[in-house]
Amino acid sequence: MLEKLLRPVSSFAAAVVVCGMLAGTAHAETPLREVIDAEVAKVWKEKGINPSAPAPDAEFLRRVYLDLLGTTPSYQETAAFLDDAAPDKRAKLIDKLLDDPRFAEHQTREWDMVLFGRNPPGYDSGSREGFIRFLREQFAKNAPYDQIVKTILLAEGDTSNQGAPMFLMQYQRNPEDAAVAVTKIFMGVQLECARCHDHPFEDYTQVDFYGMAAFFARLQRVEAGTNGKEKMLALGEKSTGDVLFTGPAIDATPGKKGEPIAPKFLKGEPLAEPELPQDFKEPPNIPGGKMPEKPQFSRKDAFAEWVARPDNPWFAREAANRIFGQFLGKGVVHPVDNLSDVNPPSHPALLDALEKEFVAHRFDIKWYVRELLNSKTYQLSSAGSATEAFPLYYERAKYRPLSAEELAASWRVATGYDEALAKSGKKPENADDFAPLTRGYMLSFFGKPGDGEGNFQGGMHEHLYLNNGELARLFANSGDGTLLHYLSKSEDPIEKKVERLFLQMLSRPPSEEEAKFFVAYLSETEPSGQRQQNAIWTLMTCSEFRFNH
Amino acid sequence: MNPHCPRNEHISRRALMKGALATAAGATVMNWGGLTSTPAFAAEVAKKQKHCIMLWMNGGASQFETFDMKVGRPTGGIFREIDTDLPGYKVCELMPEIAKRIHKLAVIRSMRTSQIDHPGGIYLMHAGYAEAANVRFPEIGAIVAKYAGDPNSDLPNFVKISAPSYTGAGFLGPKYQPFGLDQNGRLPTFSVSGMNPADEQRRHELRSFIEESYARDHQAEPTRMHQQAYEQARRLQNVRSVFDVESEWQKYKEKYGDSAIGRKCLTARCLVEAGIAFVEAGHDNYDTHADNFTGHKARVPVMEKAWAALLDDLEERGLLQDTLVIWTGEIGRTPSINNRSGRDHYVRSWSTALAGAGVKGGLVYGESDRDGHDVKDNPVTEGDFFATIYKALGIDPTIENYAGIRPIPLAPFGSKVVEDLLA
Repeated sequence: MLEKLLRPVSSFAAAVVVCGMLAGTAHAETPLREVIDAEVAKVWKEKGINPSAPAPDAEFLRRVYLDLLGTTPSYQETAAFLDDAAPDKRAKLIDKLLDDPRFAEHQTREWDMVLFGRNPPGYDSGSREGFIRFLREQFAKNAPYDQIVKTILLAEGDTSNQGAPMFLMQYQRNPEDAAVAVTKIFMGVQLECARCHDHPFEDYTQVDFYGMAAFFARLQRVEAGTNGKEKMLALGEKSTGDVLFTGPAIDATPGKKGEPIAPKFLKGEPLAEPELPQDFKEPPNIPGGKMPEKPQFSRKDAFAEWVARPDNPWFAREAANRIFGQFLGKGVVHPVDNLSDVNPPSHPALLDALEKEFVAHRFDIKWYVRELLNSKTYQLSSAGSATEAFPLYYERAKYRPLSAEELAASWRVATGYDEALAKSGKKPENADDFAPLTRGYMLSFFGKPGDGEGNFQGGMHEHLYLNNGELARLFANSGDGTLLHYLSKSEDPIEKKVERLFLQMLSRPPSEEEAKFFVAYLSETEPSGQRQQNAIWTLMTCSEFRFNH
Repeated sequence: MNPHCPRNEHISRRALMKGALATAAGATVMNWGGLTSTPAFAAEVAKKQKHCIMLWMNGGASQFETFDMKVGRPTGGIFREIDTDLPGYKVCELMPEIAKRIHKLAVIRSMRTSQIDHPGGIYLMHAGYAEAANVRFPEIGAIVAKYAGDPNSDLPNFVKISAPSYTGAGFLGPKYQPFGLDQNGRLPTFSVSGMNPADEQRRHELRSFIEESYARDHQAEPTRMHQQAYEQARRLQNVRSVFDVESEWQKYKEKYGDSAIGRKCLTARCLVEAGIAFVEAGHDNYDTHADNFTGHKARVPVMEKAWAALLDDLEERGLLQDTLVIWTGEIGRTPSINNRSGRDHYVRSWSTALAGAGVKGGLVYGESDRDGHDVKDNPVTEGDFFATIYKALGIDPTIENYAGIRPIPLAPFGSKVVEDLLA
C-alpha cells in the first residue's frame, strides 16, 4: 500500500532528474555564476516571485566579510570599500578575502563544526590542535575538496604531526557510528534507520548499513608517543574482525550471536578482499608506544579510495550542495545532509550544474566559492517582505545568526578592542577565540549547534547576557584605538562621530533619521558617562548585528 | 532496543504522504509549528488555567524501591513494604508520606519505553519522541507553555529548576525555550541589571528606535524572534520578585523538609500560583549502578516528603485540581542486582506516577510480572504516557505542528490515551 501511494512521487522525482540533466548540458560554456542566476530567475518567473533588490555596497561588504572571514570589516576597510569607485570592486574584494589568511581560519572553524560539532564523542577528540592545523593548511593552500576528504579518511600518520587521523579516531571501536557519520557528512545519506531495520521508505537495507560499517570495523586507537604537550595518536587497523549482524532489532534476543557482514559499497559492489595467509593469527590489541603497522589489507583505505571516485553518485553532489548552502543559507537540497529521494532539490537543474562544474574544476573550493559569491543571487539585499530565514527560492538574502566565534570577533572589531590592543602592543590575557569574554558563557549563550538546519534558536537567556552580562569587558580599555576613546576624546563634530559609529559597527552609514536621533542622544549632557557606551551597546546587541544578512 | 533509531521516521503513513507530496511540490518552510495549531485553540486551553509540575528523578529511580515491590523474590532487594491508604496496595518503606496519599495518585507500574541510556532517555521522557537527526522535538514544557500558558504574561511559561534539558522548545521556536533556575531556585546568571534605572531606560529607548527602524523594511522571522526574546528578558525585570521565595521558604520548610528538593518543590508551587504554566524540578541522582539501596535510602525519603507536601499544599490552596504533578525519570532499574549491590538501566517494565488535574486518585494501573522482568498487563509506552498527560491538561495530543514540511503530532502517531487514568 505504502509503495503504491509513493510511486507517483518517485516517478515525478525521476522526471525532474532527467529534465535537470538535459538543462545541465546546455550550460557548458556559461560561467557558473550566471547559471545560478538564470536557474534561480527561471523559478521566480514560473512562480511569479518578486525578488529583493540588489544589496547596496555596505550590505554586501558586511556579508562577504562574515561569510569568508568570520568577522565584520574594520572601519578603515569599510571606508575604503565604500569610497572605491571601481565598477569591479565587489569581485576584487571577493578575490582579496579569499587570499586573506583569515579565510583559511574561518573555513577551518566551519568544517571543524561539521566534522566534530561542539561536543565530539570522545577518544581525545576534545582537543584536536593537530587536526585544526591540518585543516587550516588545506584551506590555505586551496587543496581540492576530494583530496582533503581522502586524506581525512586515509587517516595516516598521527594526530599531532599530521592531524588527519583525529576524525575517524572519534569512532574507533564504533564502526556503526563511523558509517552513520561518514555517509551523512560526505555523501548526504541518512543511514541511521537501516541500523535497526530496513529503511522504511528508502532503498537501504540493514545489510547495506552493516556492509558500510564493516569498512570501519577494525580500527583501533594507538598511543604512539608524545609530541611536546600533544599526544600522538595513530589509527591502527587490524587484519581481522567483523561487524556482526543480528537481524532486525525488534527480533533481537539476548545471547543471539550475529552473522559477520563483509564490506560492501553502498548500492555498489562488495569489496574484493585478498585471503589471509593460512593460520594467520594476530594479538587482540595493536601495541602502543610506536606507530602501528599496516594490516594485511586495509578496508579503511579501500573506503577512502572509493568515496571520492566518480562512481560514488553522492560525493560530489553532497559537496557542491553543502558549500552552496553554507554561503546561500540553504542548500538546493535542504537540509544539506539528506540527499534523499523524499527530500528533492528546490532547483534540480541548478544542483546538477553545481555538481558538474565543481567536478569539472577538480573540486577547487576557492574557484567554487568565488562563483557563488559573484552571483547576483548571493548579492541580493536582505530587505524585503519574505519572512523565512532562508527563502525557498532565494528571493531574498539569508538570515543566519553569527556563531559565538563570529560574534566575539565582530564585537572586538566594532568596539575597537583589537585596534587598541595593537596600539598598546599588549596581548589579550586569554588569547582564545573569545577574549576578553568568557569562553564558557559565549558557548552556552551563543554556541549551540542550533537545530541542525541553521535555524535561529536564541531565547531570553542570550539577552540577559547582552543586557546585564560581561560585554562591559570590551569597554574596560577606553584607551587610544577604541571607539569609546574616539567618541569621547575626538574633536570631530558630533555628526562625524555618529557616522563613524555606524560605519565601524554596522558597516554602513546611518540613515538621516538615525543620524538625527543619535546626534541628539549623544549631545545630551546629563548623565554623560554612559551615553557613548550605551550607543555602542545598542548597535552591538541589535538584530542587525546579531545576524549575517 | 537500539538508541540510535531516529523515531521521527516512524511516523504515520498519512504524515509521510503529506511530507512527500509537499516536498515534491517544492515547499519547505520553517513555520515554528503554525498551521493546524491556531492561536484561538491555545487561548481556549489557557482559559482553563491548567498547570503542570514535573518532578524529574534524574538518573532513573528504581521501581523496586518505590512503587513496585517484589518482596521475597530474588529481585526484591532489602527494603520492606508498608501499607498504603489504598487497601491491598503496598509501597516501599522509604515512602511513608506518599503511602498515606495514594488516594491522590495514579501510579503506573507498567511503563515500557524505548531508550535505555541517559541522554536518549532524558530526551525521550521530555519530548515523547526519541532524538532524531532532522527534527528537534519540543519538550513537554514547551508544549504546555504554548497550549496552556498565558501568552501575555511577563513571566516565562516554561521554567526548569536544575533539571536537564537536551531539546528545549525544539521546532516550536525560541519563544518557548525553558527558563532555567539554579538548584536553589535562583534566577539565572545575568538576570539582574546593575544599571541606574533611568540610564537603562534611555538605553532601551535608543535600542527600540534602532530595532523599529530596522524592522520597517526587514521582516525576516529571526529578527522578529530576536526582538521578542529581548522584550521577554526586559519584562522579566518587572516580575523578578515572583522568583524570590525566601520568605515562603522560611514559613514552609518544615512542611516540605529542609532539603534542596523541598525548596525546589516549594518554588514550583509558588511559580504555579503566580501563573506559570509549566515547572520542572529535578532531583539528582538515582543512577545507582553501585549501592542502589543506600543510594535510594539517601534520596527517596527527602524527595517523597517534599512531594507529599507539594500535593497537600496545592490541594489546600485549591490548585491541585488544575495542576498535574508528574513523577518520572528517564528510565527504570534492572530487576537483577549486580555484584556492586547496584541496579542498572531498565526500560522493559518500570514505574511512574501522576496526580492532580484530570487524573484519578487512588489508582494503581498496570502490573509487572512476578519478578518485575516484564509488564504483565496494560503496557504504557512513552507515547501513551505523554498522550495521557496532554489529554489530562486539556490539550489534544493529536494536534499537529509542522517541522519544516513534516506534520508532527504532540504525542507520536499511534499513541493511545490511557482513559482509565483520567478522571
